[in-house]
Amino acid sequence: MIYLNQAKTRQVININGYAVEMSHISKGFPGVKALDDVSFTLGQGEVLALVGENGAGKSTLMKILSGVYTKDEGEIKVFGQAVHDLTPKRAQELGIAIIHQELNLCSHLTVAENIFLGREIAHSGLLDDEKMNEEAKKVLDRLNVSIDPAAIVGSLSVSRQQIVEIAKALSIDVKVLIMDEPTSALSAEEVEELFGIIRKLKGEGCSIIYISHRLEELEFIADRVIIMRDGRYIASKVFKDTTIPEIISCMVGREIKERFPRISCERGKKIFEVRDLNAGALVRGINMELYEGEIVGIAGLIGAGRTETTRAIFGADPKESGQIFVDGREVTIRRPADAVKAGVVLVPEDRRKDGLCVKLSVRENIALPNLDIVCSPIGSVDRKKEHKMVDETIGSLDIKLPNAEVDAASLSGGNQQKVVVGKWLARKSRIVIFDEPTRGIDVSAKVEIYNLMNELKRQGIGVMFVSSEMPEIMGISDRIIVMCDGRITGEFSSGQATENLIMEYATKFESKYVRKQAV
Amino acid sequence: MANKKDMNIWKRLISIRGMGQVLTVTVGLIALCIIFAFINPSFYSSRNIGNLLRQIAPILIIGIGQGYVLITGNIDLSIGSVVGMSAMISATLMTKGMNPWAAVCITVAASLAIGIVNGILVSNCKLPPFIATLGTMTVARGIAQIVNHNYNTDAIGNAAQGFRDFFYYGSTAGIYNTIWIAIVLFLIFNFLLSRTRTGRYIYAVGSNIEAAKLSGVNTNATVLTVYIVSALCASVVGLITSATAGMGAMDAGTMYEMYAVAAAVIGGISTLGGQGILLGTVVGASIWGVLQNGLQFAGAPVAIRNIVIGTIVIVSVLLDVVIRVNRPKRKTESAGN
Repeated sequence: MIYLNQAKTRQVININGYAVEMSHISKGFPGVKALDDVSFTLGQGEVLALVGENGAGKSTLMKILSGVYTKDEGEIKVFGQAVHDLTPKRAQELGIAIIHQELNLCSHLTVAENIFLGREIAHSGLLDDEKMNEEAKKVLDRLNVSIDPAAIVGSLSVSRQQIVEIAKALSIDVKVLIMDEPTSALSAEEVEELFGIIRKLKGEGCSIIYISHRLEELEFIADRVIIMRDGRYIASKVFKDTTIPEIISCMVGREIKERFPRISCERGKKIFEVRDLNAGALVRGINMELYEGEIVGIAGLIGAGRTETTRAIFGADPKESGQIFVDGREVTIRRPADAVKAGVVLVPEDRRKDGLCVKLSVRENIALPNLDIVCSPIGSVDRKKEHKMVDETIGSLDIKLPNAEVDAASLSGGNQQKVVVGKWLARKSRIVIFDEPTRGIDVSAKVEIYNLMNELKRQGIGVMFVSSEMPEIMGISDRIIVMCDGRITGEFSSGQATENLIMEYATKFESKYVRKQAV
Repeated sequence: MANKKDMNIWKRLISIRGMGQVLTVTVGLIALCIIFAFINPSFYSSRNIGNLLRQIAPILIIGIGQGYVLITGNIDLSIGSVVGMSAMISATLMTKGMNPWAAVCITVAASLAIGIVNGILVSNCKLPPFIATLGTMTVARGIAQIVNHNYNTDAIGNAAQGFRDFFYYGSTAGIYNTIWIAIVLFLIFNFLLSRTRTGRYIYAVGSNIEAAKLSGVNTNATVLTVYIVSALCASVVGLITSATAGMGAMDAGTMYEMYAVAAAVIGGISTLGGQGILLGTVVGASIWGVLQNGLQFAGAPVAIRNIVIGTIVIVSVLLDVVIRVNRPKRKTESAGN
C-alpha cells in the first residue's frame, strides 16, 4: 500500500508532466548506427507499445533508458529532470525497471530470495527470511497471484517466473516498467493474467513501455504505439485511432499483403509416422502421420507436451516406447545424430539455448551439422566446399550479415533464426520439425519463415511445426494436431479448424487434471 | 573470398579467430625475453636456448591436452598424476627387463584408460569435471605409487638407452628430440582442432553443448575425445620425464595440471569454453618456460617461481574476463531491475 500512496503523491506533484522524455538519442556500435536521432515521450500512467522489426533499435533504446548502454547523443528526462550518466543502479533509483525477454532470475533460489536479491533484509548480518517472505507475499498479493514466496523459482512455470520478475520490479517501487516481449513464452490464459497485472499497475500510476511483436494483443492494453524502423523513430499513434495493417506498414515501410502466405500442394504419400510414442508425463501415446506436400501444425497450451514430443521424436530426450517410420521404413532414433541420419531434423524453440553456438561464427554454425558433407575422408574440413555451402545457404535464405565470419550472437533474432533453419537446409532432410519458429521475430522475418516452410512443402519435404500463436497455426497449417497434457486430443484439417474448436481441444484435460487445475 | 586475397598478411592474421589475443601475449613473451636478457646476458647462449626449449616442450604438450579439454568447457586435473603414473609404469617395466618400446605401449594404454574413465565420467555420467578428474587424479597418483611397491624405481639401465635418446637426450637435425616430439604433437593436434570435423565439434560443445547435440553432434564422444587427447599428452610427458631422469619418480608431474592450465590460459584459451586457439598454448608454454628459466638464472628459488606463475595465470584470466566484459555488443545484460 505504501507504494500505491507514493505513486499517487507523485502524480499530484507532476500532474501534467511526462514520466520519461528521451530526445534526439543516438547510439552507434562499431560499424552500425543502432539509433539515429530518436525522440519520444512517455506519459504518467500510460501504456506505450514500442513496435518495430528486429534490429529496429527498440531494445537498444530501452537499454539506454535502463542504464545498460550509454547514449552517444541526446537528452533523457525522467519526471521532468534531466538525467546524465545513467547506470543500471541509477535507473533503479529513479524507479525504472526492465524485464528482459530472457528472464534474469536465479533458478535455484526461492521467489522471495530473488525478489530481495541484493537488497536482503538482515539484522546484524543475519538474514530475516521470515520478513522477506512476508514482504514478498505482500507484493505478490498486490498482483493478485498466489505464488508461494518460499517456492524455488526453477520449479515454477515460465509465466510464473515472469510474474516473479514483475514482483521484483514492483518491490523497488517502480514508476516506469519496461517489458521486452513479455508474452512470447506465455499461453493465452497467462497472457490474460499478465494483462490484468499491467492494467492494475497502470491504475496505480505506473507507466509501462511494452515491446512486442504480437500486434493482436496490443489492443487490450496499449494507449499509444510508437513505431521504429532501422534505428529511427517512424510514427506515434494513439492506439484506438489506428489499425494493425497501418502499424505493420509503418514497421516494414511497405504494405504486407499476405501475412500468412499459403500455397496449395497435392498431398502425396505418407513419409513419416510416429506410433505410440511415450516419453515421460508429457508425451503419452502419441500417434501421428505426415504426408508429402503438407504442413502440420501442432497447437496447444504451454505445457501441453508439444516441445517434449518433438524432442522425443528427434532423440534429444529418451523415449520409453514407440516406433518411428520414415518413408515406410522403421528407424531407430536414440540420439539427435540418428535422427539427422534418418533425415529428421529439428529447429528448436530457444535459439540461444538450443539452436546456436553464439561464440562461433555464422559459418561454423551453419556448417556444424553438415561437416560430414564437406569433409574429406580423413575428416579434415574442406574450406572451399564449406564456404560454398555456407554462402549458398546465406544467399538462399537472404540472411543479412556483413560476412559469414561474424559471431552468431551479433545477429538480430530473425537472422539468428534463419541461421538455425539454414543449417538444416544444406542437407537433404525428409522431415523438418520447427518448434515455435517465429517466436520473438518481427513481422517481415515471420513471413520469410512462412515462405521457407512453404518452399519445403513444395519440395515434398514433410513440415511439422509447433506454435502457440493461433493465427499462425490457422494460417499456415494444412492439418492441425491439438495436444493437451501430453496427449493428442484432436486433429483437424485447415478447413474445419476454428480458434474456438482448437481451444476446446487444447483444454481437454483428463478429469483428474481438471480437478487439480480447479483447486 | 576475392577480397580476402587482397588483404595483406597482417590483416589476414588478425582476422583469424583468437589470433588477436595470441599476438598480445606474444608481445608479453618478447618483453620477458628482453628483460631476462638484460638481467643475464647468457640467457641467450645457444646452450640455454636449447635447454629452454627442452624445458618448454613438456609444458606445451600437456598444455595441448588441457587446451583441448578447456575448449569444451571442461577441465582435466588428472594430468599431473597421469604424468607420474606414466613415468612410474614405464620405468618399472624397463627395470624389470621389458623391451622399452613394449613398455611404452603398455604405459600409453594405461594412461589412455585414465582418459577414457575421465571422459565417460564427465560425458555419460554427467559428473562435474572438477570432481571427476580430482578423483582420477588421486587414483592415478595411487597407481604411480603402487606399481613399484611405494618406491621410486632404480635406474632403467643401458638397455633402455634408445628410449632415453628418443625422448630426451638424442637430437635430430640439430634439434633435441623432445622438441621434435612437441612440434609433431602440436602440428597434429592443431590440425585436428582447426581443420577437422572433430575439432569443430570440440568448439561447438564448448560454446553450446545443447545446440551441438541438437545439431546431431555426438557430444559424449567429443568430450571423451578431449580427455583421451589430454591423457595421451600427459602420458608422453611421463615418458619424457622417465627418459630424462633415467628412472621413475612417484611424485613426477606434481603440479603439472596447473602448468597445463597456465600454458593454455595464458595463451588465450577461455576457461569458459568455445574459444581460443592452440597456437596460444605455444606462447603460453613459452612464457611459462621463460619465466622458470629466467627466474632460475636470476637466482630466484622455486617458491618464488611458483608465486610468479600463479599470479600470472590469475592476471591473464582476469584480463580475459575484463576484455570480454568491456567488449560492446556482447550479451551483457546486467539486471536492470
